[in-house]
Amino acid sequence: MAATAPAVERVRPPWRESRVRRFVRVHWYAYAMLVPVTVVMLVLVGYPLARGVFLSLTDADARNVGNRFLPASYQFVGLKNYTELLTGREGNFYPVLARTVVWTGVNVLFHYAVGLGLALMLHRSLRGRTVYRILLLVPWAVPTYVAAFGWRYMFNGDYGLFNQVLQGLGMAPRAWLNGPVSAFVAVIMVNVWLGVPFMMVAMLGGLQSINQDLYEAAEVDGASPFQRFRHITLPGLRSVSSTVILLGTIWTFNMFNVIYLITRGGPYNSTSILVTHAYIKFFDQRDFAVSATYGVLILSLLLVFATAYRRVTRSDKEVWA
Amino acid sequence: MRRLRLVALLVLAVVAAGCGGGGKSAQAGAEKGKPASLTYWATENDQEIVTIRQIVGSCEQKLPNVKVTVQKQAFEGAQQKFATAAQGGSAPDIMRSEVAWVADYASQGFLLPLDGYVSAQDRGDYLPSALAYDQYQGKLWGIPQVTDALALLYNRRLLKEKGIDQPPTTMDELKADIAKFAGGRTFGFYMRGDSYWLQPFIWAFGGGLVDVGGKRILVNDAQSVQGVQFAADLVKSPGVVQNRDFANDYDNAMTAFKTGKVAMIFNGPWSTTDVLSGREFTDKANLGIAPVPAGPGGQGSPVGGHNYTIYAGTKAPDQAYAFIQCMNSAQNQALLAQNHNLLPTRKSAYSDPKVTGNPLVAGFQAVMEKATARPVHPAGGAIYTDFTPAWQQVYAGRATPQQAMDKVAKAWQQLYKF
Repeated sequence: MAATAPAVERVRPPWRESRVRRFVRVHWYAYAMLVPVTVVMLVLVGYPLARGVFLSLTDADARNVGNRFLPASYQFVGLKNYTELLTGREGNFYPVLARTVVWTGVNVLFHYAVGLGLALMLHRSLRGRTVYRILLLVPWAVPTYVAAFGWRYMFNGDYGLFNQVLQGLGMAPRAWLNGPVSAFVAVIMVNVWLGVPFMMVAMLGGLQSINQDLYEAAEVDGASPFQRFRHITLPGLRSVSSTVILLGTIWTFNMFNVIYLITRGGPYNSTSILVTHAYIKFFDQRDFAVSATYGVLILSLLLVFATAYRRVTRSDKEVWA
Repeated sequence: MRRLRLVALLVLAVVAAGCGGGGKSAQAGAEKGKPASLTYWATENDQEIVTIRQIVGSCEQKLPNVKVTVQKQAFEGAQQKFATAAQGGSAPDIMRSEVAWVADYASQGFLLPLDGYVSAQDRGDYLPSALAYDQYQGKLWGIPQVTDALALLYNRRLLKEKGIDQPPTTMDELKADIAKFAGGRTFGFYMRGDSYWLQPFIWAFGGGLVDVGGKRILVNDAQSVQGVQFAADLVKSPGVVQNRDFANDYDNAMTAFKTGKVAMIFNGPWSTTDVLSGREFTDKANLGIAPVPAGPGGQGSPVGGHNYTIYAGTKAPDQAYAFIQCMNSAQNQALLAQNHNLLPTRKSAYSDPKVTGNPLVAGFQAVMEKATARPVHPAGGAIYTDFTPAWQQVYAGRATPQQAMDKVAKAWQQLYKF
C-alpha cells in the first residue's frame, strides 16, 4: 500500500478492496483540499467565461438583454459576430489588433532591455545598492491607477510638469496627449516605467543563480566582457527570460489601466488596444454581444501565443515545459 | 481520522459563514418603526454638493422616517455606472439623472413612473421645457431639479482693454473680437474639443443634430457642416488658445478663464461658483453672461439639466418620492440659485427674492430664452460618444468637417435605427 501508516491502525475489511475504493481511500484528502479552489475558480472564472462565450453568439445589447424589470428579447445569431469582426466588416478589429501587437512588442522590448541593463548594473557591489534597488521598485509598488493619474497630470498640455520644463528651457510646449502618435508614445513611456522593476527583480534573481566560477574561467581564457555576456549571462538567464517575457507579453497585451486612465483610448480611438476597446464597447456603447466576442478572441489569441511560445522555448533544462 | 475531522471542521466553518451572511441581507429598507434608509447618487460638482448636503440634512429633519446617504459620483461615467448597477439589480434609490439619461433609463425599465405621485398643481408649477425631458412614452419618470444651457461667459475687464464694451452677439462679431486679441499675451477664446460645446456653432448656421420625429439625421447636412467649418476655422485663428489637451480641456479652460489668460469661454450655470473663486472674479461684476452668438441661420444653445429619478427596484418608493419632493421644493431650488446661480425649474421659485435679486441667474434666464431643446430619445445621451472624437479630428486638422460629420451620421444611423 502506498499511503503512510496512520497512528491508529484502521480495521480493514477482510475481502479485497476494489480499485475505486482504494483510490478514494488513498486520495480523498487531496481532492477534498482541492474542492474549495475548484469551486471558486468555476464561479469566478468559469461561469463568466461560459456566459461570455454564450453572449458572443447572440445579439445582446442594453435594449434587449433584459433585467429585473423587463424580459430578455435577444436572439441567438450563431457566429455572425465573429464573421463580422474577422472579415473586417465591423471595421475596428484589425487596426486595433495591429496596434495592440505593436504596443505589446515595443513595451516588452523596452521592459526586457532596460530591466536587464539595470539588473546588470545592480548586480555588482555598489555603494548604496540597496537604496537603488528599493527606489527602483517604487514604480511597481505604486498602484497603476495612481501612477496613471500622476503621469496624466504631468502630460497636461497647459499646466503639466513636462510642458512647464520645456517652457522654462525656452522651447515650445508639446501637445502630448492630443496627437495620435504623441499620445501612443506617452502611454508607452508610462507602461515601460511601470513594468521595468518587475523585469529587473526577476533578472537580478536569475543573475544571482549563475555560477560565478564560469565568469572567472572565461576571463582566464581571455573572453571579452561582451563575449562573457553573450555566452555565459544570456544562456544562464534563458529560463528566467523566457518566463518573464511570456508573463510580460500577456500582461502588457491586457494592460487596461494605463491606456484607459490616461487617454481613454483616445484621441479619437487612436491609442485603443483590444481590452480597452472591448471595455468601451461594453460599458459605453452597451453592446454586450460584440464586447463578449472581443473577449473570446483576446483569450484565443493569448492561448495560441502561450502554447506556441512554450513549444518554441522548451529545452531539456526546463522545469515545467 | 485526524484529516477527516479537519475537513469536517472546514466545511462547517464555510457553511456557518455562508448562512450567517445570508440572513442579514434579507433586511430591506422599510422595516416597521425604523426609518427607511435610502441612497442618493449625487452627480453635483464639488461646489454644489455642499448645498445639496445641507438640503438633504434639512429634509431628513422634516421627514423623520427617512434617512438618506449622499454618495457623490463623478458626472463623467455616471450614466453608465447607474445603468450597470441597475442591470445588476441593485442601484441607488434616488439618482440625479441628466436630461438625456431619463429616456435611456426609462426605456430599459430602470425607473419608477411618478404619474401617481406628482399632483396636477405640482406639474403645472414646473417649466414645461424642463419637464419635457422627464416624459417618455406617455409617462412621467422624474422631476426636474435644475435646467441650464451653455452661455458665453466673458471677462469684462479683458474685453474693455481691447475696446470692446458689449459682448459679441453674432458669430461675425465673435470672430472680429477674437481677432483683436491676436499677438497679445491674453487670448480671446478657449474652445473645447467636446462636441457638446460645438452645438451652438451648428445651430447658428441653421444646422441641427437629429430630427427624431422626421426620422432624419441632420448633422451632415450642408448647414451643419458650414457651422462646423466656421468653428474649425475659428480655432485656427491666433486669438484662440491652442488646445493642447482634449482630455483635460474643461479644467484647462476654466483655469485660463479664472486667471485672466482668456477673455471668453462657453460654459453653463454649474460653473459659475468655480469661476467666481478665480482671482479675476473676486469682484462678481467682472463676470458677464451673454447668450451664445447668433449666426446667419439662427441661434441655439443646448438645453441641459438634471432630474431626480427613482430606481424601479427601490424598497421604499413612497418615502423616496416624499424625499425628492422635499429636496425639490421652491425654497431649496431658490437656495441652489442663491449659492450657485443654478436655474430653478419651478415657476414659483422665480418669485423668491433670492432668485430675483441674483443678476447671474437673470443673465442665464436670458440665455434660456434663446436655447434649443434636445429631442427626447433613449439614444440621446449616447450620441456624443461618436460625435466628440469626430470633432476632435476636425479640430486637429486630421479630417474635413464633411468627412467627420459623415462618419458621425453613419454611427448615429446605427444608434437611432431609422
